[in-house]
Amino acid sequence: MNTVWYSVVIVGLGLMIFNNPQIAFDTVLAGSTNAINLSLKLWAIYAVWLGLLQIVEDTKLDKKIARLLSPIIDFLMGKQDDKAKNQIAINLSCNLLGMGNACTPSGIKALEYMDKGSKYITNAMIMFFVLNTSSLQLIPTTVIGLRIASGSSSPADIILPTLIATTASTVCGIILVKIFSKFSKDKK
Amino acid sequence: MNFSDYIIPIFIISIIVYSVVTRKNAYNSFVFGAKTSFDLVLTSFPYIVAIFIAIEIFNVSGLGDMVSTAIAPVFNLVGIPKELCGLVIIKLFSGCGGLAYLENIFATYGVDSYLARAGCAIAGCSEAIFYVLAVYFVNTKVKKYRYAILVAMLANIVGAIVACQITKVL
Repeated sequence: MNTVWYSVVIVGLGLMIFNNPQIAFDTVLAGSTNAINLSLKLWAIYAVWLGLLQIVEDTKLDKKIARLLSPIIDFLMGKQDDKAKNQIAINLSCNLLGMGNACTPSGIKALEYMDKGSKYITNAMIMFFVLNTSSLQLIPTTVIGLRIASGSSSPADIILPTLIATTASTVCGIILVKIFSKFSKDKK
Repeated sequence: MNFSDYIIPIFIISIIVYSVVTRKNAYNSFVFGAKTSFDLVLTSFPYIVAIFIAIEIFNVSGLGDMVSTAIAPVFNLVGIPKELCGLVIIKLFSGCGGLAYLENIFATYGVDSYLARAGCAIAGCSEAIFYVLAVYFVNTKVKKYRYAILVAMLANIVGAIVACQITKVL
């Protein structure tokens, strides 16, 4: 992350020095402003979903979902304690149902419970991360919305191709993580 | 009507009804959960600022275009058209950036063209890796991500390749 960040900032700002240095600081500020706008939006989203997820936790509904998904979670992420498992179950269900916004708070909580306190990421956490970045969802709601807004003649005809592509990327991610974790064990 | 429009209201009603049936206090639970949102926003904010500044620099400085031009020949070999290379690259950093790029393709080539549909499948099959990385790990001690980024990128590119092929026939 560090390497990516400083490479982009140094090279990007370096390019701007040669092209148009006067917009450099505006660009940095624009990024920071976007971050504040997003954070406010995220705050609203977190408040709603963390509230609702707390109801789910207090009614022990998350344990039921976790028991249902338990074979899948065990296969993908190995042994996890119950707290982590419950959050993983919620996160995976939100991903599948296309409730993108609800994925983030449960994802953060799941990783918090999976964290062993080491500075190295564990294989199980990588699996969880890859599942989230390859976003296995049944219906790509945002993209369909965008197509409707742009006046497509059949906005929903993208569902099947997207489902096939996202399944391919998820399956490929799972296989790669499984292979990598054979050769690269968790470090302390 | 869109089927997924029903999911969220039905979900919210069911958990509240379930909470009432099992004699739990839904209101107290909600308030307690919502309270934790404040900490989450505060801890994730610095990471979001850092990554958004990088995204903005990446786009405005022309670095994004340079990377996609440089990588286009490789992507062409695996069947990703050069018009969509930028989308694949920007989608690594930000989902919103990807959607803006997609709208641009809609405007240039038409929303029902092959490029637009392939772009939709690309946008729908992956999340922004660097964004997820910055936000999801805020409450962990993890600093070294080992092979996580590599595998996530490979999975996204495989998704993009499949997306470009499948929209030719479907």
